[in-house]
Amino acid sequence: MQVNIDLFNPFGYQFFQNALIGGIIVSVVCGLVGLFLILKKEAMLGDGLSHTAFGGIALGLLLGINPLIAALGVSILAVFTISYMRRKKIAPSDSAVAVMLALGFSTGLIVISIAGGFNVDLFSYLFGSILTISFSDLLLVSVLSTFVLLFIGLFHRELLSIVFDEETSRIMGIPTTRLTILFDLLIAVTIVLSIKVIGTILVVALLVIPGLCALKLNLSFKKTLLATTLFSALSTTTGIMLSAIFNIVTAGLIVFMLVTAFLITLLYKKLD
Amino acid sequence: MQKVTPILETKNLTVHRNSVAVVENATFTINRGDYVGIVGPNGGGKTSLLSTLLGFLPHTQGSIRLFDADIAKFSSWQKIAYISQQATNFEEQFPLTVRELVSLGCIKKGMLGRRFTQKDWQTVDSNLEFMGLSDVAYRRIGQLSGGQKQRMFVAKALVHNPELILLDEPIVGVDSNAQEKFYKKLSDLNVERNITILIVTHDLASVFCRMSKVMCVNKTVELAGITQELDANLLLKRAYGDHFHFVYHKHDCEGVFASEH
Repeated sequence: MQVNIDLFNPFGYQFFQNALIGGIIVSVVCGLVGLFLILKKEAMLGDGLSHTAFGGIALGLLLGINPLIAALGVSILAVFTISYMRRKKIAPSDSAVAVMLALGFSTGLIVISIAGGFNVDLFSYLFGSILTISFSDLLLVSVLSTFVLLFIGLFHRELLSIVFDEETSRIMGIPTTRLTILFDLLIAVTIVLSIKVIGTILVVALLVIPGLCALKLNLSFKKTLLATTLFSALSTTTGIMLSAIFNIVTAGLIVFMLVTAFLITLLYKKLD
Repeated sequence: MQKVTPILETKNLTVHRNSVAVVENATFTINRGDYVGIVGPNGGGKTSLLSTLLGFLPHTQGSIRLFDADIAKFSSWQKIAYISQQATNFEEQFPLTVRELVSLGCIKKGMLGRRFTQKDWQTVDSNLEFMGLSDVAYRRIGQLSGGQKQRMFVAKALVHNPELILLDEPIVGVDSNAQEKFYKKLSDLNVERNITILIVTHDLASVFCRMSKVMCVNKTVELAGITQELDANLLLKRAYGDHFHFVYHKHDCEGVFASEH
């Protein structure tokens, strides 16, 4: 969406306030979930699921179902399939992700073809449309984000223990399988949340880059969580503001801000 | 005389991996307070045996009893701590301080998601002190030396007061001085806290100088008390083969213990 806003008072616009609130919430959730994905060495699971979600969006639009709900259903199905393939040793993790990524995306393409061409709505799901986020979208994002944040807040130590050493965690009585399944579900939810903000193509940036920046700082785990939150929120805020001011696509600017943050972190480490 | 309490018993235990028997007809009893060195050639089944005792690998025959309960019905896993072969192979950049990692040992079965209390942190700090790691408590785990990493994992294990600790080759890639410090700490735990220890190792000298029993594993399992009468060479030949020759004199241990004084 192209908008012109008052440069000196951008916060006076309701859509801008919604965009900022929604963007910050989603980016923080993405950053925190992404941090665990990086530590699990499964960052590409986020990318795979987001591309699979594209198939769900296309199906939703074709069948007249809320595309985000359809994307959530397809992502959950995909995450369980990947998990099953991993557990039963049908395929290693990255290969299982690749299969689901290709299947989801090609489903989307076939559905578009059946629908008779490219749909304008679909474009906003591919690349996000945070500036058009409605109050009801914001409500949905807030409720789902609260669940994700509560889960991470409550079980971050258990998740950390599993990520660090799954066998030992099992001996300690941590229900590793159940927590891993729940966490995988949260990844699906998080990806669907971020579709409005950044779209399915670039969601991996929100998942991976903030955590990567924080990890470069060599902090304790508590401080790494905090730094991830800050990198996510600041990059998204700056991206949304620049987008509103200069009429440039928001998703692209958010990714640029994230990459800039990453480069600054690298430079800081080099000078340190 | 101290009462002998069996805490780990196997009868005719047989374990298969990919349809090949890796442990056959193993019958042995580990008593509370035992300090057991598990030795044997590479591929002899030591790690498979440990995995089976921990329930990671199913056994195909026989029985395992842990703390007087069949392993299938055993639920008090918090009594057991395990330090795996791969424990120290973590990413150098992993964002945890030593204190944070050790505190993960405070996670309790059935009480997930609880906040750690002041008492938990006191337990963490006292175990860090016991393992000689107070100075590096706030350092990132990737900055520790090999010996310090091993002691850190023992400190983590100690946090939940285990009665039995199983360690799988924890001293790989560590210099002899650090090895000695590590074995000394394990001896202290065994004696002072009456913790039963089973350790897979290739360091035969330390086994015969420090430990109370030796378990030779090469598909078959043979457990023997380390006494003056024990013919170590004969025992080890049965596990390693006739070509193997191990010379062990009690005075060899003096060197081992020298670093303690």
